Amino acid sequence: MKMPPFRVLSPKSLDEALHMSRDLSDSGEAFDWIAGGTDLLPNYKWHINVKSHVISLSSIPELRKLSGNHIGAMVSINDLAEDAVTHPVLAKAANSVASVLIRKSGTVGGNICLDTRCYWVNQSETWRESIDWCYKCDCGTGADCRVIPNQNTLCVATYQADLAPVLMCLDATIHLASPAGTRSLPLCEFFELDGMTRNVLESGELVTHITIPEDSAEWSGDYQKLRQRDSWDFPEAGVAVLWKGISSSGPESLRVATTGLESIPSLHLEETKEALSRWRGAETIEDLAESIRKAVKPVQNTWFSPSYRRKMVKVLTKRACRDLLVS
Amino acid sequence: MTEKGGSEEQAKNDEEIIGYRQQPGKIPFSRPGSGGKNRFSEATDSELIPSSQGGSLKQPWGPHKHDEIVSGRVIGKPTALVDSSWKVTGQAHYGDDVRLPGELIGRIVRSPHHYAKILSVDCSKALELQGVVAVATGADAKNRFGVLPVTKDEHAMAVEKVRHAGDLVACVAAVDESTAREAERLIEVEYEILDSIHDMRKGLENSEEPIHDRGNYHIGESNIQKRVFQEFGDISGMAQSSIASHKKSWLFAGVNHGFTEPHAVVANWDPSGRLTLYTPQQVPHYLHRALADVLEIPMHQINVHRTFVGGGFGGKSDPFPHEMCAAILARKSGRPVRITFDREEVYWVNRGRHPSRIEMNLHADEQGRICGIETDALIDGGAFASFGHVTTYYNGVLHTAPYEIGAFHYTGARVWTNKPASGAMRGHGAVNSRCAVEVGLDDLAEDLHVDPITLRLANLLPPHSATITGFRVTSIGMRECLERVKIESGWEKKFRNLPLGKGIGIGCGFFISGSGLPIHWDPNKFPHATVHLKVDMDGGVTVHTGAADIGQGSDTVVAQSVAEVLGLPLDMIRVKSRDSDTSPVDLGSYSSRVTFMNANATISAAIQIRDKLLDATVEITGADRSGLVIGDRRIFLKDDPAVGVSYLEALHKAQEDRGALVSSGAYRTPPMGKTHKGAAAGLAPAYSFSAYVAEVTVDVETGQTKVDKVWAAHDCGKALNPLAVKGQIIGSCHMGMGQVLSEEMRYGRNGNLMNPDLLDYKIPSVHEMPEVVPIIVESNDPEGPFGAKEAGEGPLLPILPAVCNAVYDAVGVRTSELPMTPEKVFKMIEKRCRTEGVSDPTDLECPSLEYSDLQSILEKRGDEHRLRDKERRLDEERKDYYNGALFGLDPSVPPDEVDPRWEVRVAPDEEYLTSPRLAGSAWKHIERRHLEGTK
Ligand SMILES: Cc1cc2nc3c(=O)[nH]c(=O)nc-3n(C[C@H](O)[C@H](O)[C@H](O)COP(=O)(O)OP(=O)(O)OC[C@H]3O[C@@H](n4cnc5c(N)ncnc54)[C@H](O)[C@@H]3O)c2cc1C
Ligand code: SF4
Repeated sequence: MKMPPFRVLSPKSLDEALHMSRDLSDSGEAFDWIAGGTDLLPNYKWHINVKSHVISLSSIPELRKLSGNHIGAMVSINDLAEDAVTHPVLAKAANSVASVLIRKSGTVGGNICLDTRCYWVNQSETWRESIDWCYKCDCGTGADCRVIPNQNTLCVATYQADLAPVLMCLDATIHLASPAGTRSLPLCEFFELDGMTRNVLESGELVTHITIPEDSAEWSGDYQKLRQRDSWDFPEAGVAVLWKGISSSGPESLRVATTGLESIPSLHLEETKEALSRWRGAETIEDLAESIRKAVKPVQNTWFSPSYRRKMVKVLTKRACRDLLVS
Repeated sequence: MTEKGGSEEQAKNDEEIIGYRQQPGKIPFSRPGSGGKNRFSEATDSELIPSSQGGSLKQPWGPHKHDEIVSGRVIGKPTALVDSSWKVTGQAHYGDDVRLPGELIGRIVRSPHHYAKILSVDCSKALELQGVVAVATGADAKNRFGVLPVTKDEHAMAVEKVRHAGDLVACVAAVDESTAREAERLIEVEYEILDSIHDMRKGLENSEEPIHDRGNYHIGESNIQKRVFQEFGDISGMAQSSIASHKKSWLFAGVNHGFTEPHAVVANWDPSGRLTLYTPQQVPHYLHRALADVLEIPMHQINVHRTFVGGGFGGKSDPFPHEMCAAILARKSGRPVRITFDREEVYWVNRGRHPSRIEMNLHADEQGRICGIETDALIDGGAFASFGHVTTYYNGVLHTAPYEIGAFHYTGARVWTNKPASGAMRGHGAVNSRCAVEVGLDDLAEDLHVDPITLRLANLLPPHSATITGFRVTSIGMRECLERVKIESGWEKKFRNLPLGKGIGIGCGFFISGSGLPIHWDPNKFPHATVHLKVDMDGGVTVHTGAADIGQGSDTVVAQSVAEVLGLPLDMIRVKSRDSDTSPVDLGSYSSRVTFMNANATISAAIQIRDKLLDATVEITGADRSGLVIGDRRIFLKDDPAVGVSYLEALHKAQEDRGALVSSGAYRTPPMGKTHKGAAAGLAPAYSFSAYVAEVTVDVETGQTKVDKVWAAHDCGKALNPLAVKGQIIGSCHMGMGQVLSEEMRYGRNGNLMNPDLLDYKIPSVHEMPEVVPIIVESNDPEGPFGAKEAGEGPLLPILPAVCNAVYDAVGVRTSELPMTPEKVFKMIEKRCRTEGVSDPTDLECPSLEYSDLQSILEKRGDEHRLRDKERRLDEERKDYYNGALFGLDPSVPPDEVDPRWEVRVAPDEEYLTSPRLAGSAWKHIERRHLEGTK
């Protein structure tokens, strides 16, 4: 399969990258950032929303820094998984991404910004033509969404990246840069509920790094992932649960986030607040898990059915909470 | 010259044994050495010489006709495939690696519609594009083709109608891939969309516009491509004596071969007007014929060159439309044309295992005998016939063994639907119904309160018997397979004794070792396989065979056979199997025929060379011919090894006055089988048997099933290359596990194939792969080469039911749908929880089983049969044994010839048609020709 032709620009510094992005927008050229390319290039091969230019972030040293609290956008998933400074739950999630080969190329920034996925769009051009295209990549036809038809305002493709829920539970901050300057925001405010826009990135803006609060070491927990095979497969559901300050009256703080179920990952604040307000051990965990199941609304566009994925969210939540009871 | 000087000279001469010059008159013609890299012959390893020849190789199954020609060189030794260094160093050239100067890239325009009439195809814009050299459409090749001569229903490109999304409409050749892809989109096709059929059940009904028109032979106005009705044995007796029955309606999803290398082809017409087609084909000869038909040129003007094949598994055994397209484009453009598929195109051309609806009923009588099997199989053929005619039969007849049965009723139908065509895939036609039978036996054992292995051991056909369908079965190692896996898996302790979520299950298999009928000719007139040998002065042996090495190791087995008979190291054998120009016609790699047929043909050719070498040895040494044996590059007297000559000495003697030795060997099947309609389907010169035990863990809260370990016993007659046999067993486990747990061609609500890629088509990864303990059982087939039978397909069959049965043992649920994804298993667990009023699945009870009195009856019968079988296998004078003896009939006569209740029926009667089963309802239609007759 051949990609359509495009130009690759390889800036050597963040400044240069931002310059290039400004130059391209000034001349009205569209472009994509490319990090490891493990997500972008398969989509390009399928001719999905291909741009005339890509700016590669691979030669920018600033983006590669990795410490306990700072994760550069260009840190590879494999390095994140294997480095001793990485929070163990984050390392577990990183280790569950794709396969070892893909983890070596794939990056944290690319993982966070991963494009949403859907059975009706992650297909070749000929295939998509055979269903008369769909809203996300309509090739000028004004086609409808194939999953939830007759709305044409929203793509409900699924966000299936593994790192976000753990980082959200760790209360990570995401740092962005654009020709207009830099800004930082909590990771849970980064995503936008639309399978096409996906997140708050403006055109020409990129993710530089992620920071994690100093107290992250005090948090423990688990990440649980549902998939058919233990390699390659994207999460059909993923649940991160992290807590801190455990005592007989339950954890002092508790966070639950999910991925693989909707167009964005979600941090379930209300449900955990409710659980913490009257902690009764195993019973509460059961209730919490049930409330998470109710909170998520998967659609039929991945390998497993939505009803199964919802049921499994409950099981995964309980499993991720297992150590909460033991301790 | 002094005497001393003479012997010095002699000694010097002896040293110079690699390469020698003839210096007439000066020094004597030097001794030619032994040939081969190592100048010293290796001593013969007595462990590899059969005891019938005085060696120490034990022969529990008696001697074999090939014992005499065993030289102890390579047969039975774990041997790396002869082409492995090409592959591991990246120097093997697969279809897409062929590069010819001036090549063009071809692309195919495919239908976006499931079913439509083609109103017009306009290529003008594409032709105007710079770089486009040729285009072609259905109008360029109107002749039909198909792998079976009886059902030619394919065209190079659609003529009039497209029959599935992805069907070929036109093709274009351009200077590079980008231009070709651009041109592909410039070809404008106007369609009139027709109502498409996606549910195979619909295919049984009359339709306004059947997908194909078979003219007078069309079955009603339906989409039924083939129907089969067969009844053997005592059908009415079955119902009367049955005390336990199993009934289940299965739905099997279609699966694809999932080979690594996508299809690729290069076509080139040379200046003399001949076509060479480079293609990774399993069956080059059928392609050769189809090309001649479609291109309308004589066969001798075509050379089919088989490249290395990056996996086939049945998926590269049809002649394919893209192969025709490449040839047509190359003819039109006058330049070589290469077409390589994207993965989704592989799924569109498919030929994978048929999606099937199988209803399986089994009945047992009070003695625990299988008094009846009633199978109804509706199989979804997709848009073309492919091998489907045969598949329809195989879904029935291939489960009439290894058990002795009282009655067999089979109705099968294959329908066309608007999907990519199904075809032959490893275990062709046998896999799904075998799974249904073996799961059924497990259920029946549960019903009868007996151990399922005991039940099987008490119902096996003996060696050298005939099945209820009249297949002649020779060697049978079924009992040994079952006994070995039972012991090695620790079955007795584990079965129905493991904790919830852990389970163990058994499954068996039976498969043909080579289809008995060559499709294109009368087997009595023309052999199945022919092999030519040529041995020149260098001593190396060139083997010409058309056997298609598709990675299974056919080149290796052919080389091994020559090496063994002539006592040569493998590196002295050169196998030329790629070009139809130089290879004798061979049917190709399907139906697990290659080792059986080609190695036999090879042996017969090698024996002719061997005879000449022995004659020459007698001439040189004057030794008694009957005492001569062949060792490593040496022919000598068995009882006085000092008397003998090197291989090269004998060879040069034999070549005196005539030059290179040549020989030709052939294999043809013995006459076998019955004469009823369809009797040939399933006939084979030998059959393989297997039994697997699988141990699984099922996560009761998620339904995830992990296969932990498999004990896999397979009777391959004789493992010519144990390494390759083990590889086949382990690979089969992997492939079968995919079908049972995760692989499926999934069609969306509007009929589109949703997962035509390797991310969403879930082939198990290395993480899913269990430890497999391959157990080789060698039943020493009397007609097999050195006793061998197949090991390429049969080993796939048992893994599916073994896993299904193990899941039952683990959580007490039985699936009726494959693949049993976690989702499906979870649903069954939920259902069980509901029926049993359990809220938490971890509280479910494990299935348990208390044996009834029948258990000891079966054990006793199994023990008696063990003795019976041992006697039969060793007894050269054994009497006939026909299926039915277990039910009290005379074993020495075919029951259908003497007992009217056992009469064979191949068409339903009126009564049956009043309430036919699903596939059986295909018989409600009347063929057009009969309709016309009544008019
Ligand atoms: C077979 C297969 C299996 C996979 N399985 C999984 C899985 O199990 N779990 C999982 O999470 N992922 C999976 N992936 C997806 C992907 O490989 C990983 O998520 C990876 O981390 C993506 O990183 P990348 O650097 O390759 O991204 P790229 O492909 O380079 O980029 C992905 C997207 O992010 C944008 N982007 C990248 N970097 C930045 C940045 N710094 N700022 C702004 N935008 C940016 C790109 O423009 C693009 O839109 C799989 C991929 C494949 C091919
Ligand atoms: S969710 Fe709808 S719009 Fe989005 S990719 Fe899928 S079908 Fe297209």
